[in-house]
Amino acid sequence: MLVSEIDMITPSSLSECLAFLAQTNKKHKLLAGGTDATVRMKEGNWRPEVWVNIKNLKELRYIEEKEGCIHIGPLTTHTDIVRSPLLQKKADVLVEASREVGATQMQNMGTIGGNIGTASPAGDTIPALYVLGAILEISSLDTKRLVPIEQFFTGPGRTVLRVNEMITNILIQPQVPNEIGIFQKLGPRKAQSISIVNVAISLRMIEGRHCQGGKIAFGAVGPTIIRAKKCESLLSQGPLTEDLIQNIAKIAWKEVMPITDVRATATYRRDMASALLERGLYRLIRRWENR
Amino acid sequence: MKTIQLTVNGVQCSITCPPAKTLLDVLREDLGLTASKECCGKGECGSCSVLINNEAACSCLVLAGQAEGQDIITCEGVGLTPNLDVIQESFVEEGATQCGYCTPGIIVSAKAFLNGINHIPTTDEIKTALGGNLCRCTGYTKIIKAVQSAAAKNNSKKETITG
Ligand SMILES: Cc1cc2nc3c(=O)[nH]c(=O)nc-3n(C[C@H](O)[C@H](O)[C@H](O)COP(=O)(O)OP(=O)(O)OC[C@H]3O[C@@H](n4cnc5c(N)ncnc54)[C@H](O)[C@@H]3O)c2cc1C
Ligand code: FES
Ligand code: FES
Repeated sequence: MLVSEIDMITPSSLSECLAFLAQTNKKHKLLAGGTDATVRMKEGNWRPEVWVNIKNLKELRYIEEKEGCIHIGPLTTHTDIVRSPLLQKKADVLVEASREVGATQMQNMGTIGGNIGTASPAGDTIPALYVLGAILEISSLDTKRLVPIEQFFTGPGRTVLRVNEMITNILIQPQVPNEIGIFQKLGPRKAQSISIVNVAISLRMIEGRHCQGGKIAFGAVGPTIIRAKKCESLLSQGPLTEDLIQNIAKIAWKEVMPITDVRATATYRRDMASALLERGLYRLIRRWENR
Repeated sequence: MKTIQLTVNGVQCSITCPPAKTLLDVLREDLGLTASKECCGKGECGSCSVLINNEAACSCLVLAGQAEGQDIITCEGVGLTPNLDVIQESFVEEGATQCGYCTPGIIVSAKAFLNGINHIPTTDEIKTALGGNLCRCTGYTKIIKAVQSAAAKNNSKKETITG
């Protein structure tokens, strides 16, 4: 298939889009900001017969709090997330993750739905969505199902999404006042780089350095995001002193499952996963103590 | 082939082309607007930056069919001799260009950035805002100075208007 032969349809509403997905027998793919899709089309990897251009479906671009849940439309851009006062207050870790995606242009164009849809193990918003307990609403013309993000990915670039389905809403739990989060990323340089390792951390603090519990999710160190459950279980074992933090970081070294690729060796990734977690925990504690 | 209507630099245009052609190619080949440049073609360098509804985007990753009904501004739309924009004047005054390949993209990104602020930005703020624009001649010091001096000029203009 040549690029010049690829067709495009631009549905004017979500229902029109779902109707198209239900009836088409052409090889198709959704196209949002295009920052992953167009690159892959140019490289020859993604050549559908028809692009389903959803970029301007305004009804899927929103950030709102309803009935104890924050709803984020899949066409919300990273820039929208970074600028949202609601998310700054109640989902700091997601704001920090979106701020690390590419640079200005990629944040203006790229969407959260696209970041999830690409299903890259290095996608920056995904670990943040893990620690925020995100649930994805997946719709087809006549079905709707809710899938916890931890059950959505089945491997690099692979998800449970069927060909006639799309992500239509992302639900996250708002952070409570004693809950604090941080996103840490190591890339080859500061702007515009794919993560070598990243980690999202969310802690529920009690008093002083005592922590009730929390979630830790690593990206780019396994086929999908890895929840570091052994590390998590240590969070409430005592005050988060330097010793305990260093111990948790050591456990992380064993808990991640990285591979060697063009960007880094597996051992380097283990070392860096451990270092990022340690740094992230120190920074979180400092923020907690200075608030 | 599809016929696409879009607004470029304030002018309504109608173009017939394959819908998966890039906006960058439409601008350069169909409209003869050659300020926006192709370098990496993958969103990494920013030499193809244009404003879409006033936000900086890489036109090498936007497909023509997605530009339907959008408002596009290229470097030509920011200003042309003899009516240069303050940012372009500052680039000339500071000598913030060497081979010039990255310059139109940087001007467009700087325009969007300065439109959104009311103060003279720090070096770090400029580095973050222009992080998606690479200059292989590495004239960053002068580029940063030019953006700061354009912001200073914008501010003094606003003061004369309000004062
Ligand atoms: C230079 C550059 C730097 C980058 N840096 C980073 C980075 O630092 N961190 C990072 O995480 N990513 C990075 N990316 C990748 C990319 O920008 C992000 O993943 C972005 O969020 C993708 O969003 P999009 O809207 O552009 O997706 P698209 O490219 O439009 O789509 C991506 C995939 O998601 C699918 N999709 C889109 N919307 C939906 C939906 N609603 N339901 C189901 N499937 C859907 C599409 O079919 C496609 O398969 C970078 C990309 C570039 C080009
Ligand atoms: S040519 Fe578009 S970003 Fe490099
Ligand atoms: S002036 Fe040559 S690339 Fe910037």
